[in-house]
Amino acid sequence: MSTWIKVARYQLTDRYVFLISPWLILTLDFLINVGIVANYPGRQGQVYVGALSAIYIVLLTTGALAIARQLPFALALGVSRRSFYAGTALLALAVAAVYGLVLTLLQLIERGTGGWGLKLHFFRVPYLLAGPWYLSWLTSFVGLALALAWGMWFGIVHRRWGLVGLLSFIAVQALALTAVLLIIAGADDWHGVARFFTTLTIEGLTGLLAALTVALLGGGYATVRRLTV
Amino acid sequence: MRDMAGLDEGAPLFVQIAERLADEIADGGLVEGEQVPSTNELAAYYRINPATAAKGIAMLTEDGLLEKRRGIGMFVAAGARTRLLAERRKRFAERYVEPLVAEASRLGIDANELVSLIRDASYGQGGTTI
Amino acid sequence: MTPAISAAGLTRRYRDQLALDQVTLDLQPGSITGLLGRNGAGKTTLMRIVAGHEFASAGTVTVLGASPAENETVLRQMIFIREDQSYPDFKVRYAVQAASLFYPNWSHELAGALIEEFNLPLNRRIRKLSRGMRSALGIVIGLAARAEVTLFDEPYAGLDPVARELFYDRLLADYAEHPRTVLLSTHLIDEAAGLFERVVVIDRGRIVLNMAADDLRGAATSISGPAIAVAEFTGGRSVWDRRRIASQESAVVAGALDETDRARAAALHLRLEPLTLQQVVVRAAGASMASPAEKNAERTSA
Repeated sequence: MSTWIKVARYQLTDRYVFLISPWLILTLDFLINVGIVANYPGRQGQVYVGALSAIYIVLLTTGALAIARQLPFALALGVSRRSFYAGTALLALAVAAVYGLVLTLLQLIERGTGGWGLKLHFFRVPYLLAGPWYLSWLTSFVGLALALAWGMWFGIVHRRWGLVGLLSFIAVQALALTAVLLIIAGADDWHGVARFFTTLTIEGLTGLLAALTVALLGGGYATVRRLTV
Repeated sequence: MRDMAGLDEGAPLFVQIAERLADEIADGGLVEGEQVPSTNELAAYYRINPATAAKGIAMLTEDGLLEKRRGIGMFVAAGARTRLLAERRKRFAERYVEPLVAEASRLGIDANELVSLIRDASYGQGGTTI
Repeated sequence: MTPAISAAGLTRRYRDQLALDQVTLDLQPGSITGLLGRNGAGKTTLMRIVAGHEFASAGTVTVLGASPAENETVLRQMIFIREDQSYPDFKVRYAVQAASLFYPNWSHELAGALIEEFNLPLNRRIRKLSRGMRSALGIVIGLAARAEVTLFDEPYAGLDPVARELFYDRLLADYAEHPRTVLLSTHLIDEAAGLFERVVVIDRGRIVLNMAADDLRGAATSISGPAIAVAEFTGGRSVWDRRRIASQESAVVAGALDETDRARAAALHLRLEPLTLQQVVVRAAGASMASPAEKNAERTSA
């Protein structure tokens, strides 16, 4: 659909949001980590950091802004809500695929340079991104797509139900998370949870997250239809 | 209101435009066979909707004062001036003479006095002798 | 001919109010129509529904023969520039670029010329623009898109009179070369009066007037002079309004006045003043023409 492509181009008009900010933040994050590790006196062994999460957080924001900021003007320019959403989702998937590949390449480089000469595991995340490169790519792709899809939901909720809706949306998620934690703590079944995660292969996890992403994207498509500006 | 070159709210705009073009034809400003401004030119000059200008032109065309030459534009029709002047002569009595006579009578000016007043006025204008 | 915009029994209800009440109208293609009314009368709501931004509670609306909501074929041919248009957080040039993406009739030439005439700073972020500049941006996009159905909702907020004149002139000029259906909502009726072929007045969600602009001109005249003469002249006519001070009276009479009437008025030493489009519309929308001070004078001298 040519309109979807046009929407994708429209989303990329300001290159910063989709193209520059994720890499800018990640680069800064990386440099900071390298700086710290390089100057950490007398450390031994491998260093593991969870800093890669930064790119996922940025993409959450990107997804939210892609809907919240860009939608009203797109509607004024005669784009239907569904085309706008589909075009944006398409872009999100393309971006996730490409960025996933880049992350995988960086992983390979990291391995090849012995952790950037510092035994730093920045791109090589244990369990999650530890397998063969194609699996790593797939997991990254799904993870990044999920971040974008989830972020887009914040945008949709804001546009459809306003600030109150957005705050409620965030509150509900926080409450749900708290509830889950309480249930687990209440049942005192941390072992059960741990067991679940150890038996869950990375393929399985990727599949679960992929299903979640599809659900989010599908749900989003249905929800934008009655949105008004 | 915008400066619409003197068009006012007193009558439909297209009627006013038609009248102005008719005035021009009657005064000899636009001669027979001469091209009249296009709809778009008129619209730009008066700062009005082109459709309104088109209506004015259409009105004059209906009255036989303008004719269309396909592919070129609108032109003053043959005999337009003559027809216009004849038409205005007819209205002259209604428009000017009757009110004049009525006002004169209200002021107690009789017919002779009225005629001499008219003569004075026409000398003053350096016009035709009556 | 299929109307360019057609509404039948269009109604929009919000929790506590009826924004549009059984609105029915047909606008023919290739015309400029003025949508007039007070603040909150329903002009924006109507335009939003026509543009597919908002949904009706009841009734139907069609644009170019089909329902506009989520209909790409129709939406492709329509542009809606509103007063409070929200733009993404990017530079002016990107807004223009985005618009050029979606409109098949987009004219780069016209956009360029208008940008220059309005002095739009292409590299400034839109959120840093003054209100007038934002309006100018909307106008540039709205005109250069050359969309078959062009909707402008009070597009001149913050524009100085010179810029407004520019807008009217450019709109007329481009409309003359590339006819389209334009619906323009405004409060500045007299300024825009020359543009309209048709005038639709909406008040409290209802259409109270829908006429050719030319039929409104000369639809009412104000007669003023000595009260006795006014009474004589207006005898037997429909009188809309009467104001009096000492022995002078001013009355507004409905209906056109012909040559004989004018002559008679002149003979009676009465002043005739045709009502402007704005005055006729204000009356139609139900608002009183007299200012509070004038109303007082009327009360005390009666």
